[in-house]
Amino acid sequence: MSITYLEAIREAQARALADDPRVFIYGQDVGAFGGAFKATKNLAREFPGRVIDAPLSEDAIVGLAIGATLEGLRPIIEMQFADFSTVGLNQIVNQAATLFWRTQVPCPIVVRLPSGGTSGGGPFHSQNLEAVYAQWPGLVILTPATVEDAYAMLLEAIAIDDPVIFCEHKLLYYHLKAERLPTESLPVGKARIARQGRDLTIVAYSAMVHEALAAAEELAAEGSQIEVVDLRSVRPLDTDTVMASVARTGRLLCVGESWPWGGVNAEVVARVASEGFGLLDAPPQRLNAKDTPVPFHPHLWAAHRPTAGSIATAARKLLRQ
Amino acid sequence: MVPNVAGGEADPGVSMPRDTYLKAFRGMLLARTLDDKLASLYRTGKIYGGVFLGRGQEALSVALGLSLRPGDVFAPLIRDLAGRLAFGEPVIDVVRTFLGSSLGPMRGRDGNVHRGRPREGLLPMISHLGAMISVVNGVLFARRMKRLGGFVGATSIGDGGTSTGAFHEALNQAAIEKLPLVLVVANNQYAYSTPTSRQFACQELADRAVGYGVAGHTLDGTDLAACLRVLGDAVHRAREGQGPQLVVARLLRLCGHGEHDDAGYVDGRLRDSTVGRDCLRVAERVLVNQEWGSLADLETWRAQAVRQVEEIVASVQREPTPDPFKEDWRALASAHLVGTYDEDKSGDGPGLRST
Amino acid sequence: MPQIPIIMPQLGESIAEATITAFRVKPGEEVAVDQEIIEVETNKATMNVTSPCKGKVARLSAELNESYPVGAILGYLEATPEDAARQGFDTTVLTKQKAAATGDDDARDSVGDKSRQTVQPTVRGLPVPAHAAGASFMSPRLKARMAELGLHAADLAGIAGSGAGGRVTIQDFERFIASIEKHKQSPASSMRIAVADAMRRSWTRPIATVGLPIRLDALFAHRKASSPKPGPALYALRALAMALAENSAPAGRLIGKKIVHPSSIDLGFAVEAEDGVFVPVIREADRKSLKELLGRYNELIELCHQRKLPVEATGGSIGIVTNFGTFGLMWATPIPLPEQTLVLGVGAARKAPAWDEARGQFVPVMEANFTLSFDHRFLDGGAAGRLLTRIAALLNTPEVL
Repeated sequence: MSITYLEAIREAQARALADDPRVFIYGQDVGAFGGAFKATKNLAREFPGRVIDAPLSEDAIVGLAIGATLEGLRPIIEMQFADFSTVGLNQIVNQAATLFWRTQVPCPIVVRLPSGGTSGGGPFHSQNLEAVYAQWPGLVILTPATVEDAYAMLLEAIAIDDPVIFCEHKLLYYHLKAERLPTESLPVGKARIARQGRDLTIVAYSAMVHEALAAAEELAAEGSQIEVVDLRSVRPLDTDTVMASVARTGRLLCVGESWPWGGVNAEVVARVASEGFGLLDAPPQRLNAKDTPVPFHPHLWAAHRPTAGSIATAARKLLRQ
Repeated sequence: MVPNVAGGEADPGVSMPRDTYLKAFRGMLLARTLDDKLASLYRTGKIYGGVFLGRGQEALSVALGLSLRPGDVFAPLIRDLAGRLAFGEPVIDVVRTFLGSSLGPMRGRDGNVHRGRPREGLLPMISHLGAMISVVNGVLFARRMKRLGGFVGATSIGDGGTSTGAFHEALNQAAIEKLPLVLVVANNQYAYSTPTSRQFACQELADRAVGYGVAGHTLDGTDLAACLRVLGDAVHRAREGQGPQLVVARLLRLCGHGEHDDAGYVDGRLRDSTVGRDCLRVAERVLVNQEWGSLADLETWRAQAVRQVEEIVASVQREPTPDPFKEDWRALASAHLVGTYDEDKSGDGPGLRST
Repeated sequence: MPQIPIIMPQLGESIAEATITAFRVKPGEEVAVDQEIIEVETNKATMNVTSPCKGKVARLSAELNESYPVGAILGYLEATPEDAARQGFDTTVLTKQKAAATGDDDARDSVGDKSRQTVQPTVRGLPVPAHAAGASFMSPRLKARMAELGLHAADLAGIAGSGAGGRVTIQDFERFIASIEKHKQSPASSMRIAVADAMRRSWTRPIATVGLPIRLDALFAHRKASSPKPGPALYALRALAMALAENSAPAGRLIGKKIVHPSSIDLGFAVEAEDGVFVPVIREADRKSLKELLGRYNELIELCHQRKLPVEATGGSIGIVTNFGTFGLMWATPIPLPEQTLVLGVGAARKAPAWDEARGQFVPVMEANFTLSFDHRFLDGGAAGRLLTRIAALLNTPEVL
């Protein structure tokens, strides 16, 4: 039996709907149609009245979910693409993210964002917005890179009493498979050492973890052992694991699919530079997508984001410094 | 598809118990007195941030507040002091929030009109107009999922707020779901300095109700009797399952957008027309004409309202303000997710470890 | 195809150049990465320059039996962009560098506007000459580790760095530490460490020394007639004090663009202890005569021997006198303390022949070499020499001291 990343997300939602009567799913086309990516396929039938089609109104979708939490329910919102969530940005960052701080009443919504680039996706179906949401206090932001994490972290997201932005990567939906679903996992807030090494640390998350692992294979053949850290969650960010890794290797390369300015990479580098300066044997580096909207044409897209090859090149440069 | 109910001129002959009208009037009086006190506190520099009053809107607001029942959910906006108090918000909550007492419901984390008690059905607004409507929808939607019934959700908005996408999305959503929502639009002719001619092109805001497939009501917001009647009716219809009710009241904002604004842009002709009547004065005249209260009674009630407000203000002014060193500075409900990385880089300031 | 330069590497610490003794490959030949391609000879050994990349030898511009400095370009390899990238070479920079170096218009144009508009970093992981800043760069991690072990940059002098620009990497350092573990070790006393620290700090300045043999007959006669007898170092100290009282400029300090003159002629003198040196100080040595200083001088020596020298009696001196002659030494170049700029050294007295013009023959005289070490940023040989000459004159008229 093998299960894809997307199926794991569906399984997690099914499990949550079955175990907790407070959970419901709300979003465009999630009902009979099963969602644009089939993440809710059959769930409306299995759980009548709990998987509801919303009008094309991201602001009202999030607002309704927030209101529902005041009644003790635990809504999962599916945004059709992360790129469209900005229409509902105000409700997420100004209503949901501030509710607990202002009123001590928690707001346990989960906003699922199909994120990341796919070939031919173009500027408005490819964005990675975790760093944008991370700016506002009061949000939890998850970026699962594996099938197991897609399942376990979504279940934990639903259980968390705070608004969770769940950044699922579209490229991993159908391509990433696992043998079985996990029965236990690392908790939200802990990063995972995806590959152990001693010469250089790559910190990555989501689809970039796989590119980093491929780069590490390439460099292993050349005699360099690269350690890859999968952040798993962007907020909270597991500074301790990153710092311990840099203590072992002395060299840091942060890789992310989002844009350069003020991204997750910048946050990790800032923390390591200010708290772990004495661990660094070379300047910490970042590798991001190019500073332009995500291009449509596959030739351009292939050069826009970091790949195993560009990561390996950056790592080699850093090893020589 | 749905009846369009129009309110008429003040008609003291319509059957309405004296007690109902009087209770509403005294609610307006308390709100006006408290608003005046807040304005004077603002001018003497005792209030941090802005002060936004509901002067001119008391009749509409108190009518909405009184039409709701405990257990309903109410998301008031900035000029709804009368409605809040009628719904049950304690005066001391109002004063504590404006004066920044750490004992207020928002504990200094938010202030002035951004206050409420969500667990008690009074939702604290955020500044982005239109955003509260879908939240009320959510509460109503969730109650229905829990198979509860007999409740109503109400919210206010101004003529300006009806231009937002949030307003449109939420009203549309409420209509699709046929939620028991009462959406009261106080058309006070101005959104800050913007007159309605720059806000919408339709003849009558309530005409939009047809577009959304909901019931629409219009009324003279300066007439307390009309407000009580129309709002009572709208809330009743919603509670009976007739779907969302859009209520549009005509009145004039009788204060600046905030107390920092002198409203010099308001067209004087509006002030001199019926829409510019002060609903409190109108109600006083009705009381006197109906012999429901004498001038001496009015004076007594006014004095009582003043005394009530003064006492509370005096006691709140002695209360402590928030202490940054006692704040837990935590924005997440999940304490276990607040990590060990200390992000407070603002010098020696107090700061909790954050993530 | 990118052209990868073949660069004279850093072949050992303190090696600045090497001579080409043989070419092991010819232009047109294919080479593997790290293959030995050019044999060179340094003043210590014969070594090999290895290929930086997989590729084909394009050009060997160096000549047999010629010397080239570390960092010089000896030739070029031609490599595919993939092979170049695999070694971490940035091909746009390579093309531009080549264009600049060889005046190759095609290469320059192919890079074109892009390179003109981008900012190029100065170090790109290629070996650079020994004098470049990179050679002494210590990463934060290295500094942290050194601080842990209580080591200074001076302690790293014996390590060849394998990192970019010849810098010492953490791996080089740990290997070094591991290797010294194999040697016999004994603990250094705190005095030893203090002196080491003072000398290290002092040596950051350029110290030079001038010397003069000085006739001591008059001095010895004076001493013989004195009771109690002042030591030779005290004569030298008093002479130095008087000379500086006449002109205190040589004892000043250069701070930035200003010369800071001494406010008081306080002079120290070296007293040897078991494991180092004490330096007691005589305050205002210009204001008291030799006779008047003698008591204090002897007192201070006694305190040193008892290891009871009080803190107030040390520090703050503008110069010191050290009598290396007591060890029988003829010559020495003592190093001033970090806060001073002058050391007057006194050598061993001996009988030496001096030419007597009047008698037309050599006559025996008592003579000792005196040396004056000074901070050459501030004093030149001439001024130092004049000071030493004045001291010689004063020592030859000991009754004025």
